[in-house]
Parts: sequence; C-alpha cells; structure tokens
Amino acid sequence: MKRADVLLISIVLIAALAFIVPRWLSNDSDKAGPGNNLVANITVDGKLYKTVKLTKEEQTIDIRTERGYNILKVYDYGIEMYDADCPDKVCLGFGHITRPKQTIVCLPHRVLVEIAGGVSGEDDIDAYVQ
Amino acid sequence: MPMSSSESATALKRTVIVAIFAAVAVVLSLVEAQIPLVGVGLMPGAKLGFANIMILTCIFFLRGRDAFVLVILKTLLTAFLLGTFSSLLFSLFGSLLSFVVMFLLVKWGGGKLSVIGISIAGGLAHNTGQLFAAAIVFKSMSIFYYLPVLLITGIVTGIAVGFAVRYLIASLSKISLFEEFLG
Repeated sequence: MKRADVLLISIVLIAALAFIVPRWLSNDSDKAGPGNNLVANITVDGKLYKTVKLTKEEQTIDIRTERGYNILKVYDYGIEMYDADCPDKVCLGFGHITRPKQTIVCLPHRVLVEIAGGVSGEDDIDAYVQ
Repeated sequence: MPMSSSESATALKRTVIVAIFAAVAVVLSLVEAQIPLVGVGLMPGAKLGFANIMILTCIFFLRGRDAFVLVILKTLLTAFLLGTFSSLLFSLFGSLLSFVVMFLLVKWGGGKLSVIGISIAGGLAHNTGQLFAAAIVFKSMSIFYYLPVLLITGIVTGIAVGFAVRYLIASLSKISLFEEFLG
C-alpha cells in the first residue's frame, strides 16, 4: 500500500464516520416511541402510495403492482418489509426500522418506505417538548 | 483492412482473455450472490464485489474498450442468470461508474495509488453510482442515508479485492498468453 492509498482510506473513513457517529449518539432521543408520532411514507415509482402512522398495534400494508407484491408490517412504532416476491429479497434485509430518515428500498419493485416526523406537520423531531 | 498475422493473433488473444475473464467474473458474482451478507448484520444490498477482481485485472492487461466489453458482458450475464433483470439498470450504472473511475486511475493516475487504492476507489464508485441510480428512479434523496455505511463496506471489500488483484496480476504475468500485454 502506498501513502496515497492510506490517505484515500482515511479521508473516506473520516467522512463516513462523521455521518454515522452523530446517529449513534442520538440513538435514543429520536427513537420511535409513544411520544413521537412517526409516519412512514410509502412511495411506488416515485409517487406517494400511502402514509401510515407507526403504531404499537400491528397493521399490514399490501402493495400490489404489475411488478409484484410487497407486504409491509407496522408494529412496535416501526415498520418492516415482511414479504415480497422480488428476485433479490434485499428489501427484507433492512429489518425493522424505527427512526426518522431510515428507509426500506425494494429496487426491483420501485418501492420506497421512508420514516418521517409526526403527522402534526413537524418534520423535525427535536421540536417535540415533553 | 487485412491484419497482419501477429496483429490478428493479438486480437484473438484479447478476445480469449475477455471471454475467460467474463466467465470467471460471472461465476464470482453467482457465488457471492449465495453469501447471505444480511445475516452478518451488514447493509442490505452490500456486495463483496468479487467480480471487480477480473475487471481491474483486465484494465491492467488490456485496453479500456476490452474492459468495457467485459463489464457489459458480466453485468448482462449475471442479470440473466440470477433473474435480477429488473435491477439491471442499477448494477449497470454502478459497474460502469466503477469501471470509468478505475480506468482513469490506472491510465492517468500517475501511479500514485496502488492496485489496492484503485480497487477501493472502484468499490466506492460502484456503491455511490448505485445509490445515485436509485435516487434518480425514486426521485428521492433519502436513500443516501445508507451512503456512509456503504462507504465503509466499500473500503473493506475494496482492500480485499485489491489484494486479490495484486496476486492475480503477479501470477498471470508468468503465463505466456499475457506476456505481450505486460507493461
């Protein structure tokens, strides 16, 4: 390895960590819970398909398009891709997401799920005061 | 225009090398598709990028257009074999961006970066390119949430691929088929 290699690695690593570390630190403050009214915006092909509130109770969202089906499940103030008939199944790997700005993507079916702030029009979670 | 026998022999060798490399690259892609990275807690969609070993090696030995053909062949064949045709656009976008970055670094990088650095740059370009393609299709920037994680996995896999390329180039240089493409 040459010096330029080490330089490249360090710059990219620092840049990446600069984004990741603040997320770890704010781990619990904006985590979904009863206080934060988070919603998940589901878009198909770039168009808004549905906006669902992330509740503790379980609800299932069925997305059927000519490309195939995706089944999303909402529970514990988060959302998860439960099943899909896409070829790569990458979307199932995102797991249960609970924080704003987290996304689930199903490329083959052009489905995008994004968590956003509460329904009251606030999209900045820090604005909530207990 | 008729080619001299030595020219046509070189052209044939190039074709043979591209064909062999494409076959190996496709097999590597198929193998890595069977490895469940998600289970290890990694970013979904992250790949090891083993096929990049063949593409970077090809850039070293052959001309840019040969490596370009290899990239197209590998991406199309893998999409057909894995049935991931619907995401072909994304892999093509990522692979081509990665190829362009690595090609420019090899030809005009002035030798500042070693193969390992070039392979890392290629891996990073691949991941970024795929995210860009996805952002364009979804008309949403939110996918870039995963860019930092993908950058880190890109570095790790890039280092692994770079070491493989280094040993592969050293070994292939000893084979007579590759002799005239050295330097």
